[in-house]
Amino acid sequence: MLLLLSSCRDQAQDNNTLVFWSSSNPEEIKFTSQYIDQWNLANPSQPLMFQPVPEGQSSEEVILAAVVGKTTPDIYANMWQGDVEDFASSGVLVPLDTLDGFLAFLYERCDSLVIKEITSQDGHIYQIPWKVNPVMMMYNPLLFEQAGVDGIPKNYTSYLEAGRLLKLQQHWLGISEVNAIWWQRFFNFLPLYYAASGGAPLVENGKAVFDNEYGIAVFAFLQQIYTRGYFPREQMKGQSDPFLAGRVASSFTGPWTIEYNDRFKPEGMEFAFQEVLVPDGFTGPVYTYGDPKNIVIFNTCKDPEKAWQFLQTLLSPEADSDFLTLSGQFPRRKDIDTNPLFSEFLQAHPKILPFARQAKYVRGMDSAPYMKEVLDIISQEYEACVVYGLKTPEEAIRAAAKAVDLLYIHL
Amino acid sequence: MKNNRTISSYLLISPYLLHVLVFVLFPVGFSLFLSFHEWNIIGPMKYVGTANYEKLFQDQYFIKSLRNTLVFLMIHIPLQIIIALGLAVILNEKLWFRAFFRGAFFMPVVVSGVVVTILWQQLYGFEMGSINTFLMWLGFEKVGWLIDPVWAMPSIAIMATWKNVGLYVILFLVGLQSVPKSLYEASELEGATRWQQFWHITLPVINPTVIMVMILSTIGGFSLFIEPYVMTGGGPLNSTLSSVLYIYKQGFFYYHMGYAATLGLVLALIILMVVFIQRLVIERKPT
Amino acid sequence: MRKTILYILLGLFAFAFLYPFIWMISASLSEERSIAHVTLWPVAFSFNHYIKLFQSIPIARSLFNSIFVASLVTFGVLVFSSMVGYALARHRFRGRNLIFYFLLFTMTLPFQLTLIPNYILMVEFGWTNSFAALIIPGLLNAFAIILFRQHFLSIPQDLIDAARIDGCNEFRILFQVLWPVSVPTLITVGIITFMTIWNDVLWPIIVIREENLMTMPQLVTLFAVGGRSLGQIGMKLASATLLALPIIIAYLIFQKHFIQSMAASGQKE
Repeated sequence: MLLLLSSCRDQAQDNNTLVFWSSSNPEEIKFTSQYIDQWNLANPSQPLMFQPVPEGQSSEEVILAAVVGKTTPDIYANMWQGDVEDFASSGVLVPLDTLDGFLAFLYERCDSLVIKEITSQDGHIYQIPWKVNPVMMMYNPLLFEQAGVDGIPKNYTSYLEAGRLLKLQQHWLGISEVNAIWWQRFFNFLPLYYAASGGAPLVENGKAVFDNEYGIAVFAFLQQIYTRGYFPREQMKGQSDPFLAGRVASSFTGPWTIEYNDRFKPEGMEFAFQEVLVPDGFTGPVYTYGDPKNIVIFNTCKDPEKAWQFLQTLLSPEADSDFLTLSGQFPRRKDIDTNPLFSEFLQAHPKILPFARQAKYVRGMDSAPYMKEVLDIISQEYEACVVYGLKTPEEAIRAAAKAVDLLYIHL
Repeated sequence: MKNNRTISSYLLISPYLLHVLVFVLFPVGFSLFLSFHEWNIIGPMKYVGTANYEKLFQDQYFIKSLRNTLVFLMIHIPLQIIIALGLAVILNEKLWFRAFFRGAFFMPVVVSGVVVTILWQQLYGFEMGSINTFLMWLGFEKVGWLIDPVWAMPSIAIMATWKNVGLYVILFLVGLQSVPKSLYEASELEGATRWQQFWHITLPVINPTVIMVMILSTIGGFSLFIEPYVMTGGGPLNSTLSSVLYIYKQGFFYYHMGYAATLGLVLALIILMVVFIQRLVIERKPT
Repeated sequence: MRKTILYILLGLFAFAFLYPFIWMISASLSEERSIAHVTLWPVAFSFNHYIKLFQSIPIARSLFNSIFVASLVTFGVLVFSSMVGYALARHRFRGRNLIFYFLLFTMTLPFQLTLIPNYILMVEFGWTNSFAALIIPGLLNAFAIILFRQHFLSIPQDLIDAARIDGCNEFRILFQVLWPVSVPTLITVGIITFMTIWNDVLWPIIVIREENLMTMPQLVTLFAVGGRSLGQIGMKLASATLLALPIIIAYLIFQKHFIQSMAASGQKE
């Protein structure tokens, strides 16, 4: 009665082919298969096979199911940085820093801050940064102008003031996700927190460290927005996109919106991007959340060295340039804005330039376990404090920090 | 001859013994074992003593889920009994088209809970749902059925009543039809009003059915999963977080298998206790 | 006069129970932007949602999966539960009463208790993402056993004795002699088991992650909750309609049996 699934995996095991899973994004599929084909041509005795990650509720779930069912690929290219530590501490990933030439390659690709960010709690490195999609503030300059706002607001006070003016015109200042689901913080709390704190971590050494002035300031700011009625609580789904319909003047989003907007925007509409908002009197570079996706090698892989060799071709500057051109997503490189290889694409797509500059100042996710749950805990307090105004920012942040500490108490 | 028969007996029950050993006895024991550990399935198991239990007693979300269940039951059970009994009493009379009405009431019972949930999620829609549209047509204000923390769980309770009432109409009907007509006729001769008839003849007979409705509904209330999972994700403000949904989150979202097992264990005990108390308090011997 | 009021009441309730289904079907056949205007009939009639639905998820496949799993489990339950019911009802052996009381006890155990460990068993057996996980744990259930036992208690002993004299072994007695006279019970247990397995969503969600193996309620649930429906109400309603259709059709044909089975199940509680 056992229906054995004949997966490509079984075939692969028969003839030392390595299996590579990418996301199901069509451009990424195109990019990856191109490089896999190239590799297979050059290395016929060490073939690689490519599959987009199987469909499921979320790719994280699919990967976990694969680990549980012992059907993991050898290389996986779309792992959210926040998940890596959970897999690493369970012993299912290959420590990449033990592979030949890895560290040298890594230091060339990324700066020391990024490397510190991706180093695991046991000192090893289990992931290689692949791409980032920085979250920035998208705005409709015409709506702001019409409302009489002087320039585009950059800090909390001027943004709130703009909100007041826009409300008089019956427009929403912006819109953001309000549910208590962990990933929805990617587009409100997290980027603002990173901006205000200059990229400070959420947790460190098994304790919450976000209960500081920045966490509280961000909660307070966002709470004000909802209390004063500048952002709607309803998500306006099932109707046309509120930004494109000119009903909201701003939102926090990533570079993927550019293509979507260009395709669906009405005649004459403009949109542009700038860094997310910072507290008044802020100085220094504005950080944001980068939604980093990284590549890992599972320890079921029979030949990690070979896998790493392939990855070097996939992550070379030329490959990165191809990737950027094909998908509009940024490779996480320290020279993204200086390397001439990328400038051609950037010149040709001026709208994406702000993201390129921002890509140097992104924070990913702390290398600690349970990051999804940490974000969930923050989201619970976010819902109660920011969206429903039932708690003060101090109470909410304290409660979240306490819950996170409780979570880590058994580590 | 006898020995052969005995062998056959054991052969006949052997699948059951094997099945219950693997899928009932072992899980109960393993549940207990697991509750003293922390495990995320893919890594090693870690012994943590009573830490999971300590966490559980401080767990505001678990407590909230129990309170939510209480809200659900307090609306669902009375509504269910009153409507089901009322409809059954009516259907008990000599009327045309009884089969049609019975069939109509029973329709939501056979349909999958998923269908009902998806359907009602749209009916309850704030901007464009049929219920709010109807309310506005009558001149009332829109209600945030699923987005208002006060209304969310009651909305689910109403939907659950709609889904299940048909079944209990049938059950009450069976009970009602078992009352001999002579009893009613005799009491009428003695001058009893319809209300007195109901109270003294009908109710005692259907009392067992009422108890059964209560117990089944209670167990159902503690088993809510699909409804909050699809309609609200447990929100807003965790007002629709059901205990099973919480166990699911802990076990299959955060992969805290040990803690999830602990929750399951404690919840099962609570359910058994509640049902036991219900039987004690409500059971009345028919006169 | 009084009767008129009763008819009106019944009519209102019947409407309340039937209208949402009609709305669902009509809305699923209307253009997305017109759904808000649907009252009784489709507005801006279109099959679009169904077409896109079939293109997005393997819904036909999931229907097959559900039918396959539910049928197999129902057959297994009928076979195994009748076996145990027969032994408990008409055989004498050591431990018979103990097992019967144990059976009653297991019926009170809430599933919340065994959910997580059963999942872990599936993992250890390697049954996740396979039909085995959906079928094997459901092959026996205490309720069915009790119904069969109840029924077999009422069978005249002569029937069994005659068969024994003819030289039938116990299994032949059960399946060739007793089953034919147990048709109502078989139908009741069959319908209840089939419906229960068909409608179960939590267990498949936990053990099956691969879309091609999902049961129909499971696939529709995940479709409605996940981002694949892209927030399109029409598609969600179309998937719900498709899910409801097989059961509604079966119900309209076998209405009496459905109602009788459910009623019987309630009485035995």
